[in-house]
Amino acid sequence: MSSLTYLFSRLLQMIPTFILVMIIIFLLVRLLPGDPAIAMADAKATEAQLEALRQRLGLNEPLWTQFFYFVRNVLAGDLGQSILLKAPVADVILERLPVTVFLTLYAVLFSILIAGPLAAVAALNKNRRADIIIRGLFQVGLSTPVFYIGLLLLTFLAAFLRWFPVGGYGQTFWQHMYHLLLPALTVALYTSAIIMRNLRSAIIEVIDAEYVQFARAKGLSEGLILRRHVLRNALVSTVTLLGLSIGNLMSGTLVTETVFAVPGVGRLMLDAIFARDYPLIQGLTLTFAVLVSLVFLLTDMIQSWLDPRLRPS
Amino acid sequence: MKNALFAAVAALSVTAMTPVQAVERGGTLTFARYDDSTLIDPIYADRNPDIWMVSNLYDTLLRTEADGKTVIPGLASSYSLSEDGLELKMTLREGIQFSDGTAIEAQDVIFSLERARNPDLGPWSGLLGSVENVTAEGRDITITLKNPDPTIVLMLATFNTAIVSKDAFDAAAGATDQEKAQALSTASPVGSGPFVLTDHQRGASMNFVANKHYWRQGEDGQPLPYLDAIDFLVIPDDATRILKLQAGEVDAAEFIPFARVAELKDDANINMELFPSTRIIYSPINTREKTANGENNILASKEARQALNYATNKEALIQLILHGAGKPMTSGLMASTTQLATGTEPLYQYDLDKAKALAAKAGIQPGTEISLTTLAGSADDAIIFTALQQMWSQIGIKLSVEQVDGATRGAKNRSGEFDIHTYGWVNDVNDPAQVAGWLGYYPTRKAVGTDWNNAEFNSLYEASNKEINQEKRAEQYAKMQTLYAEEAPLIFMYETPFAVALGNRVQGYIQTPLGSNEFSSTWIDQ
Amino acid sequence: MTNASLSLKKRFSHYKYLRGLQSGFIAGLTILGSSLILAFFPTFFAPYDPNVFDFTALQSPPTALHPFGTDNLGRDTLSRVIWAYSVNMQMALLATIFSLITGVLVGAMVGYYRGLADIIFGRCVDAIITFPFLVLVIAVVAVLGPGLINMYIAITLVGWVYYARLMRAEIMAQMANDYASAGKVMGYSDSRIIFRHLLPNAITPVIVYWMTDMALAILLGSSLGYLGLGAQPPEAEWGVLIAEGRNFITTAWWLSLMPGIAIVITGFGFSLVGDGIADLLRPRG
Repeated sequence: MSSLTYLFSRLLQMIPTFILVMIIIFLLVRLLPGDPAIAMADAKATEAQLEALRQRLGLNEPLWTQFFYFVRNVLAGDLGQSILLKAPVADVILERLPVTVFLTLYAVLFSILIAGPLAAVAALNKNRRADIIIRGLFQVGLSTPVFYIGLLLLTFLAAFLRWFPVGGYGQTFWQHMYHLLLPALTVALYTSAIIMRNLRSAIIEVIDAEYVQFARAKGLSEGLILRRHVLRNALVSTVTLLGLSIGNLMSGTLVTETVFAVPGVGRLMLDAIFARDYPLIQGLTLTFAVLVSLVFLLTDMIQSWLDPRLRPS
Repeated sequence: MKNALFAAVAALSVTAMTPVQAVERGGTLTFARYDDSTLIDPIYADRNPDIWMVSNLYDTLLRTEADGKTVIPGLASSYSLSEDGLELKMTLREGIQFSDGTAIEAQDVIFSLERARNPDLGPWSGLLGSVENVTAEGRDITITLKNPDPTIVLMLATFNTAIVSKDAFDAAAGATDQEKAQALSTASPVGSGPFVLTDHQRGASMNFVANKHYWRQGEDGQPLPYLDAIDFLVIPDDATRILKLQAGEVDAAEFIPFARVAELKDDANINMELFPSTRIIYSPINTREKTANGENNILASKEARQALNYATNKEALIQLILHGAGKPMTSGLMASTTQLATGTEPLYQYDLDKAKALAAKAGIQPGTEISLTTLAGSADDAIIFTALQQMWSQIGIKLSVEQVDGATRGAKNRSGEFDIHTYGWVNDVNDPAQVAGWLGYYPTRKAVGTDWNNAEFNSLYEASNKEINQEKRAEQYAKMQTLYAEEAPLIFMYETPFAVALGNRVQGYIQTPLGSNEFSSTWIDQ
Repeated sequence: MTNASLSLKKRFSHYKYLRGLQSGFIAGLTILGSSLILAFFPTFFAPYDPNVFDFTALQSPPTALHPFGTDNLGRDTLSRVIWAYSVNMQMALLATIFSLITGVLVGAMVGYYRGLADIIFGRCVDAIITFPFLVLVIAVVAVLGPGLINMYIAITLVGWVYYARLMRAEIMAQMANDYASAGKVMGYSDSRIIFRHLLPNAITPVIVYWMTDMALAILLGSSLGYLGLGAQPPEAEWGVLIAEGRNFITTAWWLSLMPGIAIVITGFGFSLVGDGIADLLRPRG
């Protein structure tokens, strides 16, 4: 099966999933007890203003008609009007998305830099002291909420030592790198703990595998074995794990953006929630779902490219 | 030698005696805000972060002094109201320009006022309900009224009547008025205020630069503003906003939590300002005969409501929540900074004996259950609840809490499904009619949802809205305030200032009692 | 019963590496045990009422009288951290138990009957895992309104899928065994086959996952509390305590630091116990 047809079949598989995703997002707002118009409107709004809002949101139409409009609008790229920001939801999200993507990629980079070497050290020293210490550390990492890691880094490195700015995003690329260093590190410390646990097992599995034992028996140098067999397989595992952790990564980003006042879509989601801005909440939830599916797809593609055996025949 | 020393001492003493420095021009101010603006347009601004920015981008025909009460000329160099109160004449200042360099003319005034009073557009049109028409001859503008309106002069000093450029507005893209307003504010902002909006990253940052064509003059005889530009950063988290200020990353941070005011006052690098405001914190009481579940409502009795008010130790609440930076309400209907506010003594000063006597009179049995609806996640509300629970247990009331989000609290206020809930208010206009209508006039919104419907109050309020004799109107207001305080449809709590922390270099920043952020006279000590 | 305990013993003696992990398991059990005691008897351990203001000790740093200091209203931090044990341990249970029950039932059904139900279920799983977990949970909380009960509902609405998916896979693996088809041949009812034969054998990995999930529930619950969407002040909950202390982090660091340490220790306890159980029950190699 060629890469292209594989991609195509994967895309086809996504269609029914996305129909369900749309239903979930649509029904989300219908779960709301009471009248969404009252919930969204200002306390000072009169009955006439409420009725106008109901009209605008189409709340007086039957449910299936509303769903039809919703899907049609989404397909046309129209996610509605944000009540909080008084602007098209799609515009607002596109404005803020680059910040979150930047932060996420930055965090991925850190996660690899942290998890990779440590997992290798732990795996090569299986059940020895280094392994136990590293595993213990990451167990602690897994038990620490992201917001707490962020708060500690913010307090000590930014507020006390003044090494880093207290949140924000900056204007230029290098300012972004500087401003987002602590947030990225926060997300990475948590994510790498998840990845490292599985990466270690994956590396151990490769080291114990027959072909590596065979290579060793042939007298190949450890360095060569490491490069030729272990690294390649570790890379496949890392990509897979990162791909599968994208949900965790995004969740971590959402919390971190709030702690560090980073103006990305994660913080926007919380702003939207506190303002009960339902069109914005719907749009953002959809955005997150699209991002995650794209990453799943990308992971599959990279995986099948790195390791053709994984391709379904 | 001697002379030189003498001169140096003299020079020193002179500088010591005149701490007022000459203003300095230039520089960019970085200001950390608690929330972002969405659309800063005179008629569409409906949230505080929008309303409070309008005056920086758009000027009004008349202005008020910093106290918010005394009216002075603005874009109009003079004004006069006819004796029967049915005609207001103004003369537009000569040589004034919009930020794009075009002249501000009578057509712009007519356009702006017609827009402001169009009920199909913004939410504030009711404020100009008395206007019959607006005409102009050259630079002379005449506003004809349907009926005498005591508020009309102040309304021309209010944000919703600020002047926009007709030509720029007509040229803006979009089919509807709102779309045009949106386009004007994002694509090609043109304004009449001291600053121009240049960039806006929604929810993140906003940038103003000085309007080179602005007309008002500074202390140095040059046109305002002193600043070259302002960068606003939106940082909703209180702690982060303060950290940024302490780290020197921003020059000012607004909405400082009161718990931290003392700490920032002690910080030598920070100037902690508490600006007087029209903000009041109060709790509407459900005065309906029956509660939502059909039982008899003990709070329908005036004595019960008075008992609760006497049993509330406002000074203690102010200490707990504001750390002393506030004062008890002295008028039931409005903050003491509002025009026509009466009363100098705190309402219902804590008096447990009176509270007990009134509670007995109202028939409050020990163990009577009352629920307080508070805002989920609000630290202040959590303190209010815990404190009231302790205070009211003294008169036999068992207070329970119901935590809801803002929207649900609003819905409950409408439907009457509450006993007492927390609330707050800031005036949007300088005249007391707005707040009095909100709190007490039944037809507006059932007197903040309390369902308190008092015929005498309602007719006084209606009469006062047409009374152009200021003395008579003041009398009507005095009566309304006495009546309202006596009837106590609210737990009268306290007034709070606006807490803004400024870096030492920042001078001349003002937040008005209405909350408006005034940057026109702000300057940076370089 | 005998079979199970026998195999447990066998595994214990069989694996040398377990000796190293056993100490971790015991440490984990100790942590969880102490946490449960604190959760059930906070009055016994907390020196003060967690909600009473004390104006003589506002923002007191840690002293002999207040070992963890006090907050801006004079409430004793140690007492609040101890009282929070009941809320947070309750979270570990209530945020997961309904997901567990629903997930096990649904997973067992679709794994056993397959067919259309399984196809629909597969699509549901695909759709729900397309959302980042936290995003979907807070979106549901946003609609229902903040608060503990709504938080539990939100987590259950999203979380059951993960249990069901695991259960389904295990049931299907068990059905490949002979005894499942033997049961059918002997004419046992479906419910008897599912509940008496398949479920007891398939449940182990689900229980292991449950342990991890309880630790995650505490992390998630405190995160939502911190963001203002979970437990509400004045209730003492670790996330809420950290959020309350955040404003004073430069002047009264103990307010945010102490509850955070409680979270880390408890989470660590759950992970150790989870790992221990996994090692005990899951055959290796």
